[in-house]
Formats: sequence, C-alpha cells, structure tokens
Amino acid sequence: MKISLNWLKEFLGNIKNNDQLIARLTSMGLEVDSVTKSKKDSVIDIDMTPNRADCLSVMGIARDLSPIYKKKVSMPKVAKLSTKTKSYIKGVNKKISTVYSILVIEDFDNSLATPKNISDRLELCGISQINFIVDVLNYVMLEIGQPMHVFDKDKLNGDLDVRFAKKGEKINTLDGNEYILSTDIPVISDNNGPQAIAGVIGSNNSSVGGDTRSIVIESAFFNQNLIRKSAKKYRLQTESSYRFERGVDPNLSDLALGRVIDVVSQYSKIKKHTYNSVVTKPASPHLNKYIKMDMSDFERILGEKIPNKFIIDTLSYLGFNPVMVKNKLKVSVPSHRFDISIPEDIIEEVARVYGYNNFSEIPLPPTNLSTNNISRNNTNIFLDLLSSRGYLEVITFSFLPKDSQELFLSNKSKIDVLNPISEDKSEMRVSMMNGLLKTAKYNISRQNSDIKIFEIGKTYKKQKDKSISEENILAGIISGANYSHNLKQLQKIIDFHDLKGDLMSIFPNLFFKESKNTSYLSNSCQAVIAQGKKTVGLCGEPSLSLYKQFGIKNKIFYFEIYIDLVKLNQKVTYKPISVYPKIFRDLTLLVNNNISCDDIINSIQRKSFNYMINIRISDIFYSKKDFGNDKKSMTIELVFQDNSRTLQDDDVNGQMSKIIGFLEKEFNAVIRN
Amino acid sequence: MSKEYSSLISELREKLESCSSQHDLSNIKSHYLGKKGIISNEFLKLRTALPEERKLLGGKLNALKDEAQKLILGKVSELSASEDFNEKIDVSLPGSNISLGSRHPVNLTINRIIDILRNYGFETVDGFEIEDEFHNFDALNIPASHPARDMHDTFYVSDNKLLRTHTSSVQIRSMLSSCPPLRIMTPGKVYRSDSDPTHSPMFHQIEGLCIDKNINFCHLKSLLSTFIIELFGRDMDIRFRPSYFPFTEPSAELDIKFNGKWLEVLGCGMVHPNVLSNVKIDSKKYSGFAFGLGIERLAMLQYGITDLRMFYENDLSFLSQFKGLK
Repeated sequence: MKISLNWLKEFLGNIKNNDQLIARLTSMGLEVDSVTKSKKDSVIDIDMTPNRADCLSVMGIARDLSPIYKKKVSMPKVAKLSTKTKSYIKGVNKKISTVYSILVIEDFDNSLATPKNISDRLELCGISQINFIVDVLNYVMLEIGQPMHVFDKDKLNGDLDVRFAKKGEKINTLDGNEYILSTDIPVISDNNGPQAIAGVIGSNNSSVGGDTRSIVIESAFFNQNLIRKSAKKYRLQTESSYRFERGVDPNLSDLALGRVIDVVSQYSKIKKHTYNSVVTKPASPHLNKYIKMDMSDFERILGEKIPNKFIIDTLSYLGFNPVMVKNKLKVSVPSHRFDISIPEDIIEEVARVYGYNNFSEIPLPPTNLSTNNISRNNTNIFLDLLSSRGYLEVITFSFLPKDSQELFLSNKSKIDVLNPISEDKSEMRVSMMNGLLKTAKYNISRQNSDIKIFEIGKTYKKQKDKSISEENILAGIISGANYSHNLKQLQKIIDFHDLKGDLMSIFPNLFFKESKNTSYLSNSCQAVIAQGKKTVGLCGEPSLSLYKQFGIKNKIFYFEIYIDLVKLNQKVTYKPISVYPKIFRDLTLLVNNNISCDDIINSIQRKSFNYMINIRISDIFYSKKDFGNDKKSMTIELVFQDNSRTLQDDDVNGQMSKIIGFLEKEFNAVIRN
Repeated sequence: MSKEYSSLISELREKLESCSSQHDLSNIKSHYLGKKGIISNEFLKLRTALPEERKLLGGKLNALKDEAQKLILGKVSELSASEDFNEKIDVSLPGSNISLGSRHPVNLTINRIIDILRNYGFETVDGFEIEDEFHNFDALNIPASHPARDMHDTFYVSDNKLLRTHTSSVQIRSMLSSCPPLRIMTPGKVYRSDSDPTHSPMFHQIEGLCIDKNINFCHLKSLLSTFIIELFGRDMDIRFRPSYFPFTEPSAELDIKFNGKWLEVLGCGMVHPNVLSNVKIDSKKYSGFAFGLGIERLAMLQYGITDLRMFYENDLSFLSQFKGLK
C-alpha cells in the first residue's frame, strides 16, 4: 500500500527525522518496501500483512506509530450529520451488513474539478482520478479506511435493498464486465435489480459522472467472509473489497460520511443532506472482547521482563483499554483490531513497540534428544558415493506434461493436478524416468552429451482404495563417453556394464536378473536389481518408443532404486587377516548359453567350499566353430587361503575336484583345462 | 682370451669407457653383438672351419661373446645408476579418468543447514508431499475463510488433497505422533501456483520446530542469529521485524544485510496456542518456536545465482560448478 509521507506526518505532528520514521514503520511490522522521493513529498510503499486491516489508511498507520511518538492520534475534522430519516433504505439483510448508512445530497455539482491537494495525493497513492465525488470518497478512504460507494440518485429506481442476489440476476459492473450472479452473492439493489455487488464494485447503470446532479453515498460494514467470497468468485480485487474482506472498523461508517461532508463543503456548498442508517447489530468502540492474562505471561513468552508501565502505555496508545489489577491484566480490544483475540496477540503488540531487536539472546538449553535420522543418513551416503563416481545430481519437477506417462502406468493410478499452472505441469510423476530423459535431451541439445546424472525424489500413485502412496526413488541416467580426458585410453561409449559397475560399487550385495516385464525399458536390455532376495530396483535401456518420444538418438542407460528398501553395508566386524600365501587356480568350462554367469559364481559362493576366499570370472568366450551356438566358454579364477597354515597343493586339489564335480552336476559343465 | 680376440676386447673396453649415454651404448651393443655385428660375423667362420678346428674355435668364440656381454651388461648397470633411462614423463599432461560429480546446489544448501541445526539437537523428519487440508491448513490455524490462504496459491489433486504449500504439515504430524520436548527440522519440496523469475511452482523449504517447557522469544533470537553466522561463515548484519503468520504469535521475519540491502531470509515466531491445542499440547505447560526458510533463495545468495530457473533446467554446465562442495 502506498501512502504519502506528508499526509502521515499530519497525524503525528512535528516529526523532523523522516528516515527514522520510515525505519520505525518496518520495526513495527509495517514493512517499507520502497520510498520514492518527489519534490515536496515522498511515497512510502508498505508491504501490508493480511492481518493488519486497521493499517489500510493513513490514520491507521499513524495510530500504530503513536506509542512510539507518544502522541494520541485523533479523527480528522468531521461534519455533523443531520437527524436520521427513514427514507431511501428498503431493507438490510443482517447476515450481509450490520451497519448500512447512506447520505443523500441533492442539488450537487459533480462537474467540479477535483481540487489539486486531493488529486495530488490520490496520484501519489496510485489511485486513478474519476470525478469529483468519487475522488473525495477515495481520499477519505485512504485517510481513515472506510470504503464507500456512490450512486447517481436520478438513475436509481426506488429505495435500496441490501440482499442476496436472486437466481439469474445480472450486473454490468464499472470495469465493463457483465456477471451473472448466484444466490450467495450479496448485492445492493433497487427496483431494477442489483446496482452493486456489495462491498466490491458498483453497476454501470447507476454510476456517477460529471453531469450527475444528485447522489446517494453508501457507507457500511459488510460481512468479511461474504465479501471475500464474491471477490474471489469473480476475481475482483478492488480497493473496497480488499479492505472489507480484511475487516473495516464498524464504527467508521457514520464518521466517514461526516468526513465526506466536511471535505466536500470546503469546495462546494451543500445546501441540504439526508441521512439514514440501518443498524442490525449495534457497534461499540470495543469489540466486546476482553482478553484476560497474567502480567507474567509477557516474560514467559518473550523471555525478558518488560516494565508494567510500558505495557499499559503501549496498549493505551494503540486504542486498547488495559486494566491491571495486581498481577492480572484485562484488556478490551478496539473495534478496528479484528486480529486480536488471545493473550499472545497482546504480547506481540507490546513486543512490536518494545522493538524485536531490543530483546536479548538466550542460548537454547542443551538437549539429549536424538538427532539421527538413519534412513536419511544412509541415503545421503549413497548419493555422495554416486557423485564421487562422476554423477551430477539433478532436480526435476514433480509434475509432468498432460498424457505423457501412458507407458508407465494405467490412468487409474495417475494423480492429476486439478488446477495446474500450465499444461506441461499437470500430472504427478509415477516414474523418475520422464524427468531424467527430458534433462538428457536438454543437455544433448546443448552439446553436453556425456551424461551421468541422478535424482532422488518421490513418485506418486493412487492406490486401488483411492489412497495416495509416495515412494522415495533414486534414479539416474548415463549416456555418451565414459572416459573423457584420458590420453591413454580411447574414448569409450558407455554400455550397460558401466552402469552396473557403478551401482555394484555403491550398493553392497546387488544381483542383476534379466527381465522382460517392464514396458518402458527395452526388451533386449533390462534387468531387475535385487539385494539378497529383495527386489530393490530396475535398470536397462529405455524402450524404443521413449527414445522416439524424447527425440533422443544417443544410447542411454537408466536405473531406478527403491532407496528405502536398500540396505547399507551390514555392521562391520573385523575379521583376522591371514598371513599365509594365497593360491590361485583357473578353471575353464563349457556351459550352455542360457546359464547366467552370475548363477555359477553365486552358487559356488553359496556352497562355501573350504579355503576358498574369492572367485571371479576372468574370461568369457563364444565360438560358433569350436562349440556351436548354444555354448560358451568361461574361465573363473578361484583364490584359496587358510588362516592358520600354508596350503598345500593337495588341499587345493581336493577342493577343486569338489568344485568341478559340483559344476558338472549342477550346470552340466564340461571342464576344458 | 686368445690373442686374436684380446685386441677386439680391449677396443670394446675403450669404446665403453668413453660411452656415456643409452643411445651410444645400444649402438655399441649392436656393433658387437647384433645379428650382423662383429662377433656374430666371427661365428660365421665356424661354418667354414675344419671339423678338428671347429671345437677349439667354438670355445674361443663363446668365451669372446661371454666377455663382450659381461662388459656391456656392466656398462648398462653403471649407466642406469647414473642416468635415468626411462622415457622422461610429462607431469603437465592431464591425469587419467578425472571424474567427480556433485550434489545439486539446493541439496548442498539443505545438507549444510541440517548439519548446523543438528548441533542444536534438531532431528530431520520427512513427510508427505500430497497432504490434506487439515495438516496443511486447518491444524496450522488457517481456516478456509482466512485471507492467509491467499498467500498460498494451492495446487489441488482432489477435493481435500493438495500439494503441500509448506513443510509445516510435517511438523503437525510430528507433534501429533510424539510428545514434547521436541526439536525437529523438516526439509523438502513444497508447491505453490506461482511462476515468474523469482517464483517457481515447486521449490524447497526447511522448517524448524522446538517445543519444550520455558522456551521463549529470546531463545529463538539466539538460535537464529547463530544459525545465520554459521551458515554464512561470518558475522552478518541481521534484524528481526514483526510479521504475520497464522501459526505463530508473536511472528517475526529475519532480514540480513546483503550488499547494503536488507533481504528477508526467514520467517519465524512463537508457536500459536491454537496450533498447540490442535495437536493436543498444553500451551500453559509448553511453549515453542518455529521458523522456516526458502532454500533456493539462500542458495542464490550463497552462490551468486541470479535466475531461479537455473535450479530446474539442470544444465550440466551449471551443475558441474558445484563439484567438491559439502
């Protein structure tokens, strides 16, 4: 909200230090966003928090500063209203309005140019000028905070009725739009129908212009929630609705009309005015709300003792009525403070004036609470290891373009955003793959085609019972060259085993099993990743249709790990190291092609032969000529060692023949060496 | 050594004497012992020798060859002791397989904050990103009619389910499931329907919550002042000013002076009694404070990033600038 510095100072009296005044605004919680200096004045733009409805006027802001300058702020000059008549108001629905006042002025000349001191200030505050009476109403609104509306009396048909709209009623509003009203929208209507959406905007049909000769000014208190509803429904945030939905002091309605008469009279003589007001619920200077608290509550919450006199003075300046009896405090809340209802609100009022920066700092007492989130720590270990193997972490959006996930899941389990910000962010991801492929594509097209990236994030799925599940996934993609800066080795294009190697280095005890079940991975290159007996992930090449969908021509390998299921290395217990020599043996065997190398290694390992401490595949060889299409030759290296003595050839030979026997029996292997 | 060959040997000795480089040595070696070298030529004489002379000549030639080999070998070890024969290496050539990745700057920042707050007893808690209105709004003292709901332009996925607009919903779940004392921090993604150079529809937050007996505003000030110093690694000008959040009372915002300008970095306050009663904590017995901050904003300050969108474009040239950071 923009206000004029000079205007503010009129309420506070002789203040010399402008900079200090501006700093005080911020320290009181009325954050100064910017100050623009002009020749004679300055515009202060304040970022108003939604609770401070009472500060949406110059007077309100001055009142908030009053405890600092120790100066009570009073109303500007107000003319006396004539005796109440019973004319011009047909009815007031008390759900809509508790005070509805009108002022009728006939023989009025609205062709008058708006006086310069008014138009200057409106301009400074960013309010456009319309015509004399509208400008005066806006001026008074800025000054004391009461929004008002003016009708051209000659355009009205009959008395005003404050009611809910009837089904199908229409209104052509001042902003040039036509709205069809629903029955929950409060309106001001005459015999012709709605002439205003109450508290929000008026109708074109009864608006005032330069030729207007008689006017009806409305000044009312409207129900906050109803105004908020209409403003939201029709997306109409006007100066009026902005104030009404936050809360306008119900005691202001009549004062504002008196102020209007005073201002108008300075420029144009008012021969006669008629005043009427319907009060469905009388307002009082206080909200009939009393807050009872202990004086010790201040120190309990704030941590510092504040003198009693400071507390009482501060609250009085702000318009509260504090009564202290012994150690108890009873505070009544002024009618402009809708935001105050509990002792802590009162405590904040005092703390604001005391100055947040004047409170001391007391170190937090030590605690013996645990700070260890094991699953988060474990995940972080994996992520740090991945990045030390050359992977860059990315973060992609959790929402994806409309209909972009058909390959991944049935539409039933997909979660749509009902009010997306754009079509390309309209459904929650069910897989990490889309985001990563998009990132790969983006980088390839920017000449970054050596890609090793990972992301940790959630996927979101609707379950059969309509509940929503969120799963933590670690996923990644590799593409391009494996060695980029290496003079000794040629650039090598990455392959599946590079990915597998990375994963096996990081996660303990992984097994990879060939699979064909995943539709978004290529049939010829996909594997299920297991740790022990538990499936913990998937990897492979994207399916052809995904390559096509993302327009990617470079080879890509993808993995996803269900990170909450993965176990970190088991607790480590030291095993004694043998000082005796190792014995290495090679075994070359011929097996059927459909037997996986992993199976052979794992089954030997599981059998735990004596002295065998290590086993690995050292060679694999296919030859159509020598052993046909369906056989392969593999060489495994076995390492033997004992903890208590040097092994003899006989020890190892015994084990080797057991192993050979096992392989012949289990895998129909033919030993070649 | 027979006479006819002793001159050959002494000639070799002289040559070796004056030889001082690997290159010369290998020339000498091939001159004498090479396939077409002097000694190999001498062996050719065996073919034409008479059978009765052959044995004698063979013995002489072998002795000659042994002697020559011994001399040359001696020179080899002499030279290798005084000179490095290996090819000289160029230490300025790049090392092999340089590959280091990095964490994302947003997560680097989150992890730094977590490391700092852990020292003050705060534990990390994770929670749902798709929440209901109770945990995201109502329990936090933001009823449906409250204007503060406008501050959170909310994405809905069903009538009651929404993408959380802050991680405070996780704090509600924690307070409902455990009793005070409580010190937790909740990092994570949050969503608001806002998109421009300074707003992203998805961004990251971390919030902290401390509930115990006798916790007050001075504790909050102390923790956050030290936190800012530890985070930036130097003394910073900071200020607290009153603000408004429905879930704290009193509420404050913390600004830091950065390049001569005040920038707001975090919101905080004493937990609102309504929030405490919503999670069945007795506000007469317990009090507490909460604070929350946007990660991207802080990361931008820390690394001098000027465009928020860089965080989600995931350009490798951007991401690889954060290597080696913790």
